Amino acid sequence: MLKRRLSVVALLAAIALVVAACGDDTTESTAATTTTQAATTTAAATTTTAGETTTTEAMGPAALVCQVSDTGGIDDKSFNETAWNGMLQAQEQFGVEPQFLESTDATDYRPNIDSFIAQGCDVIITVGFLLADDTAAAAADNPEQLFAIIDYPVIIPGVGPIAPFTETSTNARGLNFNTNEAAFLAGYLAAGMTATGVIGTFGGINIPPVTTFMDGFARGAAYYDSVKGTTTTVLGWDVEAQDGLFTGNFDSLDDGRAFAQNLMDEGADIILPVAGPVGLGSGAAIQDANAGGASVMMIGVDADMFFSAPDLQDVLLTSIQKKIDAAVLNTISNVLVLGALGNEYFGTLANGGVDLAPFHNFESAVPAELAAELVQLKADIIAGNVSVSG
Amino acid sequence: MELQLRGITKRFPGVLANDRVDLTVRPGEILGLLGENGAGKTTLMNILYGLYSADEGEILVDGVPRTFSGPGDAIAAGIGMVHQHFMLVPVFTVTENVVLGVEPTRGPGIINMRQARRDVAEISSKYGLEVDPDALIESIPVGVQQRVEIIKVLFRDAEVLVFDEPTAVLTPQEVEEFFGILRGLRDAGKAIVFITHKLKEVLEISDRICVLRRGRTVGERAPGEVDEATLAEMMVGRPVELVVQKAPARPGEVVLEVDDLMVFDDRDHPRVKGVTMSVRAGEIVGVAGVQGNGQTELVEALTGMRHPFSGAIRVLGEVVTRESPRGYHQRHVAHVPEDRQRAGLVLGFTVAENLILDSYYGEPFSHWIRMDWDAIRGTGRRLVEEYDIRTPSIEIPVSNLSGGNQQKVIVAREFSRDVRLIIASQPTRGLDVGSIEYIHERIIRQRDTGAAVVIVSTELDEVMALADRLLVMFGGRIVADLDPTSVTSAQVGLYMAGATP
Amino acid sequence: MSTGEEPQVSEPTSGEEASLFEELTGVGLEWRTAILVPALAVFSAMVVGAIIIAVTDIDALRLLGTNPGTALAEMWDSIWGAYKWLFLGSMGSLRAVSETLVQATPLILAGLSVAIGFRAGLFNIGAQGQLLVGGMFALFVGFSIHVPVYLHVPLALLAGALGGAIWGAIPGLLKARTGAHEVITTIMMNFIALRLVDYYLKSSWYQAAGRDDPVSKPIEVSAQLPKLFGFLERSDVRAHLGIVVALLAAYGVYWLLFKTTVGYEFRAVGYNPHGAKYAGMSVTWLIVGVMAVAGALAGLAGSDRILGVLHRGTPGFAGTIGFDAITLALLGRSHPWGVVASGLLFGALRAGGQEMQVNTDISLDLILVIQALIVVFIAAPALIRAIYRVKTAREAERLTTGWST
Repeated sequence: MLKRRLSVVALLAAIALVVAACGDDTTESTAATTTTQAATTTAAATTTTAGETTTTEAMGPAALVCQVSDTGGIDDKSFNETAWNGMLQAQEQFGVEPQFLESTDATDYRPNIDSFIAQGCDVIITVGFLLADDTAAAAADNPEQLFAIIDYPVIIPGVGPIAPFTETSTNARGLNFNTNEAAFLAGYLAAGMTATGVIGTFGGINIPPVTTFMDGFARGAAYYDSVKGTTTTVLGWDVEAQDGLFTGNFDSLDDGRAFAQNLMDEGADIILPVAGPVGLGSGAAIQDANAGGASVMMIGVDADMFFSAPDLQDVLLTSIQKKIDAAVLNTISNVLVLGALGNEYFGTLANGGVDLAPFHNFESAVPAELAAELVQLKADIIAGNVSVSG
Repeated sequence: MELQLRGITKRFPGVLANDRVDLTVRPGEILGLLGENGAGKTTLMNILYGLYSADEGEILVDGVPRTFSGPGDAIAAGIGMVHQHFMLVPVFTVTENVVLGVEPTRGPGIINMRQARRDVAEISSKYGLEVDPDALIESIPVGVQQRVEIIKVLFRDAEVLVFDEPTAVLTPQEVEEFFGILRGLRDAGKAIVFITHKLKEVLEISDRICVLRRGRTVGERAPGEVDEATLAEMMVGRPVELVVQKAPARPGEVVLEVDDLMVFDDRDHPRVKGVTMSVRAGEIVGVAGVQGNGQTELVEALTGMRHPFSGAIRVLGEVVTRESPRGYHQRHVAHVPEDRQRAGLVLGFTVAENLILDSYYGEPFSHWIRMDWDAIRGTGRRLVEEYDIRTPSIEIPVSNLSGGNQQKVIVAREFSRDVRLIIASQPTRGLDVGSIEYIHERIIRQRDTGAAVVIVSTELDEVMALADRLLVMFGGRIVADLDPTSVTSAQVGLYMAGATP
Repeated sequence: MSTGEEPQVSEPTSGEEASLFEELTGVGLEWRTAILVPALAVFSAMVVGAIIIAVTDIDALRLLGTNPGTALAEMWDSIWGAYKWLFLGSMGSLRAVSETLVQATPLILAGLSVAIGFRAGLFNIGAQGQLLVGGMFALFVGFSIHVPVYLHVPLALLAGALGGAIWGAIPGLLKARTGAHEVITTIMMNFIALRLVDYYLKSSWYQAAGRDDPVSKPIEVSAQLPKLFGFLERSDVRAHLGIVVALLAAYGVYWLLFKTTVGYEFRAVGYNPHGAKYAGMSVTWLIVGVMAVAGALAGLAGSDRILGVLHRGTPGFAGTIGFDAITLALLGRSHPWGVVASGLLFGALRAGGQEMQVNTDISLDLILVIQALIVVFIAAPALIRAIYRVKTAREAERLTTGWST
């Protein structure tokens, strides 16, 4: 049931739309199409052999796992796609049958969810806060159906349900990521690595899944300063005001370029763009600057961009990994093995749901001392000795 | 090269545009193709140029039958056409325009501009065209642009040159120069077809005249053996009054008073510099002048289309200096605009809709905001009948009508009301004899029923014939107030040129 | 000043060829021509869509060399499946019809907005922005006041229309007063609207209590457009009163354009602003008026989204309706009934597309491809003429020029 034709059709659609000079968002889909294949192959490479798949397939009718993507589409090179990678990993490991429905706009969410309910999906995974209301409503209308929603809390233990979810939303599981823990490490690293004493970040839109990166980053740098007595300026995020620099979109590579250029003009030599593909533009701007004699580095987000954006290997210091695929896989595993969703999921440094990627090309550039401190800091965060939220 | 059309027939659904037309043009002669608008001249030439295919008949080049499936074929066969509407790129130079599409090259893809420039200069001097190969099209006058079109055709080695209404866009002086060029081309052995509806011109320049009426050839004459009246009768199919017949004017009360009027154009240059005039009921005042001496702005100011800078305008004693077009309309002022397609009509609207263009907003055509289509159609049908507007229906877009009928729509609309003052600018420009006769007659009838009339025209003959009083405008001022019966056109021409005889 | 810059002699050329504007927008074309080309364009787009389905069926393509019979059968199955589910998903059941209506409603309203602009010679690319602002106005009235449904729904709709009208009138005013081209200004106004929505959804005025993301408070139940089939108590039948609003709006636009002096003025300005001025119309205020009416219609489209379906505001509530509306107005030949017909068609494509996505392995992008192809065929009527050898208005129209004095 893999939608193999997607790429070709999307490409044709893009061409047709460009020909029609229609004001539609086509560049995104062309860009996305070219990367789909790469992402799928890496996903396949990280999972187990085909032999295991055949053994599990013999175990009777495959479970149906279903994903409703938001308007970004399944090949958005961002969370929709990472979630889908988790579905594909589940297919490899458990022989489940993954399906997805794309939404063209906000009014499609509910009908798509309803279609999956009608198909008898074992679990329906919805992607992003925009689907929270429809997911909550569908969960209330269909108490027997299991749901999981990415980047939105459902019932936080000790706090209670988060609107629009209620006490009765026990058939839904929020897949949350304490991205700030990994970002804290990144901030510490950046403060230790900067030559100018200025580091910078910017986001896509001012929403929690984005700002949590920026907040952790800024606090990590501040923590470094408090330990070492240095003064590091963090541009683009004000911890006190909880506000900062935003492009206002998740698709303009030009914005990525411009924002990175501005930050570099202000002296930043390490930049953290938290805006999906926008960061690719920043990486290119940094490469240009470095070609002109500068020495600027970038920190990637979501996946280890060393692999997902190989063009940028020469500027990527590290990446703040947010393993949505792992959370999806964990949820499906729970449903299959335990027959239940399990508790609210929080990806942390402790459970590996978030992490700092290896330094790769910069392995030798990072002082051994600083690397060791990071290992210790990670352990301290896990142990609760260091608070990442101030 | 001899070109022969034999038995050309072209039908459009419901209309026979060309009916067994025969035509021959030989090297070294100018053939005048005379016909009213819609007589089928343009259709015939489009067939010749490969734009349409004939239903019947054949085209022979030097006696050999040819078929043209497009202008490319026609050009290759040595036929060149100069259209009424020039097909030039304004921001290109003369040379660039001439070679467009057939650029001489040296090596693949490299334009040999120097060669092209030399060719253009050579053609220009050979036929006395006096065109600067390096001038930008947008910077040269219309008359010279036309010569560029001629060079284009010659550059493509045309032996037969077809000119479609070439004088329509030219000033009288330019027409004279153009005729000189035509004669030069003829003497160089080219065959020339000159399409027109202007009797005088065709008599002056042609070696042979072929008259087309309703798609048919009605006769061929030599210019020496016919006069204007005969040709007009052949063209229209009935005797035509070429001289305006009118009784002496009986001027009444003063209707329009203009006092020291100054008007600026869009670029804030003064165009009308202190005009004072008055027009009485029952008289026609003609304003003559070479185009561009402020007449356009004067008319716009007198109809509310442009607010004067200073001075005063009074209609029937009431000050209307800064009124809107509607204000003038409501004071019984009719306006026949200079540019009928741009101002006087909404081409996309139907005939009926155009007939109420400035009175749609009140009774009986609308009640509050609701249009009364029955009343509008009723009026439309009545006016079409009364003003002899030739149209298959009042429900078709007015753009489908011929120029003469379009003008009749305007005249019908403007004259059918209770009118006290008529401001008519170039009322017969571009019209054929039949329509001109009709419009002149209508204007005189309005005068005789007591309207004050102002006619602004660059056609001196027309103003002289119509006007009871003749004003000459030069440099934004009225330089002469004459009695048209006691001056010659030569004298008026001197005033128009700014000289004081 | 050269003499006679406007040659006006002989057969008028203006009647011979429809201008590009007329070809594209359908304004001024005879009705049979106006319908023929869009119908053939839709048909051609479906045919090309079928070909695309076939050539993207990788499995079948692989078989083509070894077993062409099976391959062709498989391709045929794919095509048949796609179009079957497109049909069933748009018309096959009450739910399907309901979804078609739900999708069509804002498209019709926004399409009318663009169409009325075309009729008045204005390219209103700003429907998207007007839709957003209108939606935000309706949203605010939707959650902030507490009145019975028979007051709340009309008030919220009115607010939406007002918001859109204001947003539309601004570029109108800029054009009328300064000559700023509406294509540029409306596009810019779209961006401003988009950012304002982002901003206000995070502001305390709009943002739902206890939420960090840009999601507004839900509107009161009394502000929700009543369900058409509410008595069935089926949550999957979402059709609501919005479609009635859209049809009334279409009739209103028809009446305005063709039965009133206002519409006469709109159309006169559209064809020939100079002629409109000659006729004593105030061109300045007409342009502002047209843009305000267009904006109000787009604002209603945005309100329909909020009040009819979502019942709250999110950043993407307008989708791409304001841009699809341009396609729609072109397809509908800028005539209200044409817009209704193409709105229903596009609504059906979207509703059917969802069902196709559920039941086949063909991507939803097919719908975009078909829509795009429709535009291509509409924009290139010569292509349609060439393919189907239709004689359209051109030759027929110029005949009437043969009538003469």
